[in-house]
Amino acid sequence: MASVRPLQQLLIEPVATLIEELSRLPGIGPKTASRLTFHLLRSSETQSQALAQAIINVKDQVTWCTRCFNIAMSDLCPICADSTRDQSRIVVVEEPLDVLAVERTEVYRGLYHVLHGHIAPLEGIYREHLRIAELLQRLQTEPVEEVILATNPNTEGEATAYLLLKDLAPWGIRVTRLARGLPTGGDLEWADAETLGSALQGRREIA
Amino acid sequence: MHILNLSLRHFRNYEQLEFTPGPGVSLIYGNNASGKTSLLEALFYLATTRSPRTTNDRELVNWHAREEAVAPPFARIAADVQQVSGYIKIEVLIQLRSQEQHENSGGGSQKLVRLNQRVVRALDLIGQLRVVLFTPDDLTLVDGAPSNRRRYLDMTLSQLDPHYVRTLSRYNKLVQTRNAMLRAWRERRRTLRSVDEELAYWDDEMITAGGYVLAERLQAVADVNTLIKPIFQANTGEAQELHIAYRPSFDFAGMTEAHHLVEQFRQTLQQRRSEELKRGQTLVGPQRDDLLFTVGNVDLGRYGSRGQQRSVALALKLAEVELMRMRSGDAPILLLDDVLSELDLQRRKYTLEAIRHPHQQTIVSSTDLGTFDGDFLSAVDRWRVEQGRVYRG
Repeated sequence: MASVRPLQQLLIEPVATLIEELSRLPGIGPKTASRLTFHLLRSSETQSQALAQAIINVKDQVTWCTRCFNIAMSDLCPICADSTRDQSRIVVVEEPLDVLAVERTEVYRGLYHVLHGHIAPLEGIYREHLRIAELLQRLQTEPVEEVILATNPNTEGEATAYLLLKDLAPWGIRVTRLARGLPTGGDLEWADAETLGSALQGRREIA
Repeated sequence: MHILNLSLRHFRNYEQLEFTPGPGVSLIYGNNASGKTSLLEALFYLATTRSPRTTNDRELVNWHAREEAVAPPFARIAADVQQVSGYIKIEVLIQLRSQEQHENSGGGSQKLVRLNQRVVRALDLIGQLRVVLFTPDDLTLVDGAPSNRRRYLDMTLSQLDPHYVRTLSRYNKLVQTRNAMLRAWRERRRTLRSVDEELAYWDDEMITAGGYVLAERLQAVADVNTLIKPIFQANTGEAQELHIAYRPSFDFAGMTEAHHLVEQFRQTLQQRRSEELKRGQTLVGPQRDDLLFTVGNVDLGRYGSRGQQRSVALALKLAEVELMRMRSGDAPILLLDDVLSELDLQRRKYTLEAIRHPHQQTIVSSTDLGTFDGDFLSAVDRWRVEQGRVYRG
């Protein structure tokens, strides 16, 4: 099987460079990088320029919201800038993409706080690497009544939620955690034991 | 349970093999390096998703598979298994990654596991096929490092209890995580200000998982103790009894319920916190436990003769077979890799008697048919192994 590496010496430099840059991206190996590069080579000038410009713009124009650390084009992200939103609730998430996920539900009208990661000692990520101090800072200046912990339901996410719970306890505000349970439209018999177990533990009164 | 068919493709020195052992005893014989051990290795792999010989799955893929133009090279192990409760098909594909993929992902191979033709996680395969493997290396169970004895317990329990495999794998990751935190503090990479607060979550999780692992191990040792006594006595003629003691890393005063173990685990962890911070390592828990084999208060690991140690290893394996039969209601497949020739006449005779059980599929490998008497040879299925091929007869 021919590998990409020796071939690279045959490639002219700009092509080799683009392949290398693309293959640094997550989820893209050398093969996909080569395929993308040759696709771009064949595509029209305007198309490639639009892509290049989009990448530059993303780095030039997008920053982190100074309040919640979501993606933003100015000081505040669109959600923080929207004064009609419920200022008394904060959903705490790991990544900006999680904000989108919660927004898609259309059942939440409050604010967010993006931690930019989760506690993962095996990868050397501890509380000081997350935006936890900034969250506590917000509690001093904002009229927060409830913090909803929406970190992922895995070990690292739970560890993060646990630490936040301890940090938030002295503030005397309501702290909640997303419920864990069964997906809508699913079948009980196909649910894995752990999910079904936590759905049972987290059951609630309906009448 | 028994295997109806084992099918290998590009596995070790087998390019292709269909092996159909009978439900009783099969004797596979041939010269060294002909492929006898690899055949047993394949069955062990299907049972545990691990090789007993290597931690690097790349080694399992036949060299010819790498020379072929088809990409990527792979090894395939599959079997049809008749359990008491039904019939299952299991299959593992071990696929080599190319050099670049290897560098990106950090793993040299990946496995794809199917149970009844559905893709499942590797953990879901463990326990579907149950085997007990006995090789000449198993002497280290008695005289080797404690990790050998822990692995024996873990392998046995993992095949019997799906919850055990998962809890153990979670426990091991929690210990690693905790070690990473303790190391960071020891090396002063992080401030010691909020140690208790930051460890609290990981301690809780580790203690809960560890308490379960410990309770299951203690129960298994208690059961094996009962089962092993008659076996050991019969195959050695020793008047004194063999006893297996579980050596824990903390004292639980003989109270073996999981909730009590969890509480003792927690207290010990608290007491040894400063020591753990100094050493940068988790110092308490089932990952540090050991087994002790004694006959009349003599520690056989240290003072036993070679013959006594071999008897303990053999009795341990035969007791494992009984434990699996007792707990699951279904006998495991017993794999004896070239061990009979090392036993003296009495122990060999006892072992051959023990395996001629009507519902006990056993695969025995040997280089030398002279080890066996005519009676035995005429009662078993014979298979000759030669350079990665198996012939009946």
